[in-house]
Order: sequence, then structure tokens, then C-alpha cells
Amino acid sequence: MKIALVTAALLLASGSGWATATVGQRAPAFTALDTSGKNVSLADFKGKHVVLEWVNPGCPYVQKHYDSQNMQGTQAEATAKGVVWLAVNSTAADHGDYKPPAALAQWMQGQKAKATATLMDADGKLGRAYGARSTPHMYIVNPAGTLVYAGAIDSKPTSNPADIASATNHVKVALGEALAGKPVSVPSTRAYGCSVKYSAM
Amino acid sequence: MKQLQSLFSGLAMVAAAAAMAASGPLAAAATGPVVTTPQVRAELVAHAPEGVLPGKPLWLGLKIEHQRDWHTYWKNPGDSGLPTKLNFTLPEGLQAGPVQWPTPSRLPTGPLMNYGYADTLLLPVAVTVPQGFKAEALDVKLQAEWLVCKDVCIPESGEFSLHLPAQAATAAHGALFASAQAAVPQAAQGAQATAAVQEGALVVQVTGLPATWQGQTLQFFPETTGVIHNAAVPQASWQGNTWSARVPLDPQRTDSPSAMPVVLTTKGQAAGLVVQLAVTTPWPALAAPGAAGIEATAQLPASLPEANPAPANPLSLGLALLAALAGGALLNLMPCVFPVLSLKVLGFSHHAHDRRALLLGGLAYTAGVVLSFVALAALLLGLRAGGEQLGWGFQLQSPAVVAVLAGLFTLIGLNLAGVFELGSVLPSSVAAARVRHPMVDALLTGVLAVAVASPCTAPFMGASLGLAVTLPPVQALSVFAALGLGMALPYLAASSWPALARLLPRPGVWMAHFKTVMAFPMFATVVWLVWVLGQQTGIDGAAALLALLVALAFAAWALGSPTLGPRARGGFGAAALVLMAVALMWAVPTLRHEAVAQVPGAEASWQPWSGERVAQARAEGRPVFVDFTAAWCVTCQFNKRSTLASAEVMADFKARNVLLLRADWTKRDAAISAELARMGRSGVPVYALYAPAGAGPTLLSEILSPAEVHSALAALPGH
Repeated sequence: MKIALVTAALLLASGSGWATATVGQRAPAFTALDTSGKNVSLADFKGKHVVLEWVNPGCPYVQKHYDSQNMQGTQAEATAKGVVWLAVNSTAADHGDYKPPAALAQWMQGQKAKATATLMDADGKLGRAYGARSTPHMYIVNPAGTLVYAGAIDSKPTSNPADIASATNHVKVALGEALAGKPVSVPSTRAYGCSVKYSAM
Repeated sequence: MKQLQSLFSGLAMVAAAAAMAASGPLAAAATGPVVTTPQVRAELVAHAPEGVLPGKPLWLGLKIEHQRDWHTYWKNPGDSGLPTKLNFTLPEGLQAGPVQWPTPSRLPTGPLMNYGYADTLLLPVAVTVPQGFKAEALDVKLQAEWLVCKDVCIPESGEFSLHLPAQAATAAHGALFASAQAAVPQAAQGAQATAAVQEGALVVQVTGLPATWQGQTLQFFPETTGVIHNAAVPQASWQGNTWSARVPLDPQRTDSPSAMPVVLTTKGQAAGLVVQLAVTTPWPALAAPGAAGIEATAQLPASLPEANPAPANPLSLGLALLAALAGGALLNLMPCVFPVLSLKVLGFSHHAHDRRALLLGGLAYTAGVVLSFVALAALLLGLRAGGEQLGWGFQLQSPAVVAVLAGLFTLIGLNLAGVFELGSVLPSSVAAARVRHPMVDALLTGVLAVAVASPCTAPFMGASLGLAVTLPPVQALSVFAALGLGMALPYLAASSWPALARLLPRPGVWMAHFKTVMAFPMFATVVWLVWVLGQQTGIDGAAALLALLVALAFAAWALGSPTLGPRARGGFGAAALVLMAVALMWAVPTLRHEAVAQVPGAEASWQPWSGERVAQARAEGRPVFVDFTAAWCVTCQFNKRSTLASAEVMADFKARNVLLLRADWTKRDAAISAELARMGRSGVPVYALYAPAGAGPTLLSEILSPAEVHSALAALPGH
């Protein structure tokens, strides 16, 4: 079993190294530094629901959901129910949108974000492992470590904040179902937003 | 920050803050046809070379000139990005058609792959000017939204207006419209394209592409978003005129289309060709398992809709239960059930004096029938949840099941004819158990009745079973349970009211004759099953089955004949077992052999069904009639030989130039299963009549009459 896992990891590393996370399967394990320099692993949260949110403060679609308080509201609702919320920034360090850890932490604080931690992923390893394409791009991992949702924050792929009110918040629905022990009715959707600003491989 | 700065400078360059607030954060309003942002210059343009008059060509379009390295997106934008949206406001009566998207380019960004356009782009839209349009000028308003990206992405929008004189030609952009038109992908005439889902990839085969394309590298642009892994390069090859490619699927796939339009293009081509990929295998379920610790059954509701794209169900659950009950009761009259049931009714005469025994037997029989239906249904639902494209009657799609049923019917027939007696064959303990436990016997009779009844689709059953497989498991199983209850109901009623049972004739010599007579419907059923198997595996398979049945009959006689002495039985029995073994060894590989594709009864007027043929014929303005049928479906065969063979009906079809297609479901066929599911059915027969225009087909009843076909044809529009 161990050998098989190692082989699989090697194959993935040597292949395109892209989009390995699959809904219904085990979520890729990771360890990354948060904005305060602490190591955060997915394994730390075994037994809990974990939400991953790809974020880039420079992206107008991220601004749509933060300026309208939609993202913070979703974060607050989730974390109040014991869900772990990890924001991930995969913007490459040489990109204009890049924010160093302290600046990113300050931005999140200024937004009154309710994320459990904000992770730095400037080399894009975490983003590539999850196949994150857009900001925002949302994932939900269940207590058993299975990926149960991947996709958009909501059902209206526009930049207009006025559309939030009439959109279905896929993350709220999926989390509600997962917390109630039900299967997620809409397990994957197309994320919309800006492309993730990955570093060159 | 860079992004915000460019954004603000962009906003500073365009007008009217009020309009910006009204139409979103990044709107640019213009009083004229041009909107300029730092990334693009967008212009509303028109082409009306003969003026804006009824019946004359009128084209509108948004011309987007991108700054260097900036791009906007195709209708399938790929991994990220969003398609450009055009909302025209036109005077009443004028209709803007769909955007004619030019062939896109691949736009890689890091590990992502998008589809879109750089440099100068025109998104043209055809407009129909209605008869009676007499205005002197046409005022066009356009609200457009586009996402423009380089290393950053900026959602932009603009309001455009254009004033066109009706009587004068507008042709300044003629060349632009012509070149955009030349870049719009055209349907690949005569191309056939299929795709099968295999281990995380779509295995695509396309024939009928232009001969000049052979040997070249093709680019693959799916119009459907969220299916393929966009950044992966397909592994493709040419074998003669067939292009084959293995296109990896998106691990986070969001769609499971049964047909996928794809634009194929090769270097140096202005426009690609559109092929319609027919996906011939079922898609694995998208649904993720829920929280840990949920049993498999709880996942059924999530995965079932997946197997049934957009099921259209006209029935409520209550109606479905009633229809199932009625359908079950009618099953008793079907030729495959009647002999078994009549056997059982004979039992009433024995027990007419013992009310309690009669009632218990009736209840046990009912339990046997209902439990068997539920078990079979659970198997069906389980397999469907596992991604198999199956429907009711699926068990008869397997030659092995048909062969076993033929053997079972042969044995019942021989037993009725008196060739052998069970008492001699069964170990004495089993025989004694049957006598001691009449209820177990009744229960097993119920199981047997379902085994032989399952292929017979009675009227009323089609719609309710179609609904059943789309329901959550508990409700679905309750529909099947209602079906079983309906089937057992007449028997249960007779056993509950002895007055009914007493109406039956008294036991006597006639019973022995009746029993023998009943052997013949059994043998007739065997003939039917041999024919079904012949359809599935060819004449060799049918011959193998017949040989097996002969060996079985010999074994039954040798081991069970009441006239044989013990020594003779020993000798014949040993020979029979050897014969059986030889027959099995010879027959089994033949039976496993899947039939060579053969279209049973391919009369000239009927052609094999495919979704594309239906679409194609309708596009040509022809109505289409589809006969969804199977060799093992008695009702289907009855209709095929009566109504659908009648000269009057065929003349009716011909008079209206109806394309006749036959979808043969004798063997498993995922495309047909998917189509049945789309119509809300899970079994055959289904008779579907498509008008050239309009949404879905009209479904005719399962027992088809010439009058019904005639009135359905008369109701077609345009006649």
C-alpha cells in the first residue's frame, strides 16, 4: 500500500502535476505556512470539515465577494459551526497582485475575514494539487478527508455584487448538507473569477 | 494594486458616473457606438448592404480590438475566464439571433488553458427584420459584458447605441463581417463522431473529416464547459480516414453530456468544423459520497439523477403506485405468466376446505412476489447507481439469463407433461420439506412467477417504472412493491374469500389433462426465449441452447421418470450427466459470445436510430418516428407485427415524409438507455413522434393502434 502511494506521488510529481484533486476521492494532503509563519497541515483537522478558499485581493471577483461581505458572512457561518476555513493565496511572488504574508494578513484583517488561517502558496504547489483555477475557487473536505465539493462560491458568474442576493451560495448549501450527514447535491461546479496567478513551473 | 490603478485610469477615461453605478462596478457608458477602456476598444457595428428592410440581410456585431497581450473569451472560456455577453435592445418585432462565435485559439496561462481571442475580434449576430417593418431608421442599443485578461483579469461592460437609416446601405464594415463569417466553424457534413468514457478520458473517434486533414494535428475545442482537462494535449492518431484521440477528463468535471458539440481545427484553417460527439458509454457519477458513515443506499438519490439527465415525468408518486398496481394485475394475463398462475390456482381445489391454509398460502405467495420484485428492483437501482445504463427488462439483455430461463421453462413443461416427477429428482428431505412447509412452497412459487413475469411489460407499467428509477430508493422500491402486490392481488383475493375458490371446478381426472395441456404454453415460451437468444448470439447460440435443452430434458427423464427402475435410472442418469457436461462445455462459450451486430428485421423503410439522425432529419424539416423495441419484449413484437406492419399506417408515414427509426434495445445500449431516461422511461416499448420543430417528442401508448398513430400524425403542425 505504502509503495503504491509513493509510486502514485512520484507519478504525479513527474507528470503535469496538475489537477489531481477529484471530488469523491481523498483530498490531497498538504502542509503550508500561514501568514504568521506557522505550519498548517490538512492532517491537523482530521475529524472536521475543512473549507479551502482561493483568494487574491487584487482580483475584482474576490473584491465582489469581500466588499459585499458575502465571503465574510459565509466564513462566519461556517466557523461558528466548527468548520475550519483556510484561505489560500497561490499568487506568484513576481506577480503584481502578490502580497507578502504581513500585507495579506493585514488585508484579511481589514476585511474582517473570519478564516481560521490564511496560507501562503506562492510556489503554487497547493493550488496545483487541488486544481485551483480561479479566485475565488472553493473546496470542501469532509471529516473523513474526502473532497465533497469543488467549484464556485455561488451560481451567478458575474462581477456585479447586486447578483449575490439572487444567487445560490453553493458553499453554504454543500456545507449544510455535509454537516447534516447528507450527500452533497451539487458536488462540483465551474469556478468563476480571475485565473490563479501561478508562478512559472 | 496594479490592477486597481489600471482600473481607475480606465474609468477616468470613460463617461458618466451615474451610468456606472447603475450597471455594475466597471461599466462604461457611451452615447455612441464606441467604448474604450485601457484594454480594449469596443464598437457596435452593423452590416445592412441593402438597407434595413424586410427579407434583406442585417447583421449587428461587437468589434473588440484588444490591446497587445490582452484577450477575451469564447463561449466555452476553458479553465478560467467568462464568455462575452451581448444583450441587444431592438424595436419590437426584430429578433437578434445567437452570437456566431469565430473559431477560438488556445490561450495558455501557467498551468491553465483558456479558449478565446486576441487582436481584432468581431462577434456577429444575425437579425431578422419582420415583414411590415416600415420605420425610417433603426435604433440599436447594446449592453455588453466581457472579461478581459492579460496577467490580470478585468470584468468590463459597456452600453452602445447605433442609428441605422432604413433606406440607405450600411456597408462600411462589410469586409470585417465577411472575415468573421469565414471564421465561424461550420457543421462537418457527413462526419460521424463518437466518444466513450474510459479510465478518466474520453476516447474519441471521428470519421468523415476532409481528406486534406488526414495526418494533420487537430485542435479540440469542446463547446461544453467543465468536461475535459483543457490544458492536456489529446493523444491523437490517424488510421486511414479515422481520427482517434484520447482526451483526458477534468477531475473536477461538472457536466455529463450525452452529446457534445466540439470544434476541430487544423493549422492554417480560418474556421474549424463542428462535430457532434455522441457519448456512447455511461458517465461515472459526479456525486461525491456524503459524510463518512453513510450507507451506500443513502447515496442513491444523489447519483440517480446523474444517470437520468433531465427526466421528464408526467406522473406523481401516487399515480405511479396506482398504475403499477393495475399493471401488476394485468401481468397475470401475459402469456409468460399465465401457465405458472394456472398451476397455482389448481392448488385451490386441494385446499378449498381449509380456509386457514388457503389464506396463509395466499399471503406467502404475495410475499414471494413482492419480495422478488423489490429484490430485482434493488439490483437494478444499485447497478444504475454504479453507472450502468440499464432499464427494466435488463436481466433479459444477458444471454446467460435467457438460457437459464429457457431451461427453467423446459423443466416446468416436462414436469407438467408428466415426463418426470420432482419427487424422484429432489432428495427426499427436500421433497418432504416442501410438503411439511406449504408456505415455503407458496413463497417459492411467487419467486418463480416473478422470474417468468419480469420480461412482460404490461400496459400502464412503462410510465410508472420510468418514474420509479428516477425516485429516491425508498419511493422507487415502493413502486416496484406495488407492482408485485398488483400481480399477487387476484390470487390473494381468491385465497381470502373461500367463496371465490369454491367457484373453481372440483378436482377430477380433468385436472391431469389440464396439467398436460398447460405444458404447451410453457414450450411455446421456450420457443420465444430461444428466438431472443438467437437475436443476441446468432444462430450458433440458438443451436447451442437447443442442444443444452435436449440434454436437460434427457437428464430430467433419466433422473425423474416414475416409470424407470432403480438400475435403469442409475445407468441412464450417469449417461445423462455425462451428456449434460459435454453439452455445457460446448454451449457455454457459444452463449457467451456476443452477437455480431445484426439488425433484426431491417426492412427498407426502417433505419437504425441515433440521436444525430433524429436531430438531422428534424433540421431538414422531416418529422421522425422512433420505435424503441427489443426482441425480448413481447408487446414490442406484437406492435411491430400488427400496427407497425399495417399498410395503412406505413402509407400514413410515407404521406407525411416521416423518417422511421428503430432503436433496438435487445442488447445493452447506453445511448438508447440514456434517451429512454430523457423521456422519463426505463423500458420498452416506447413510441416517440417528433415534429420538425418544438421541444420533446409525443409519446404514444404502449399498445399501439393504427388510429392512434393516425391522429398523432394528423396533429403534426403544418398539415
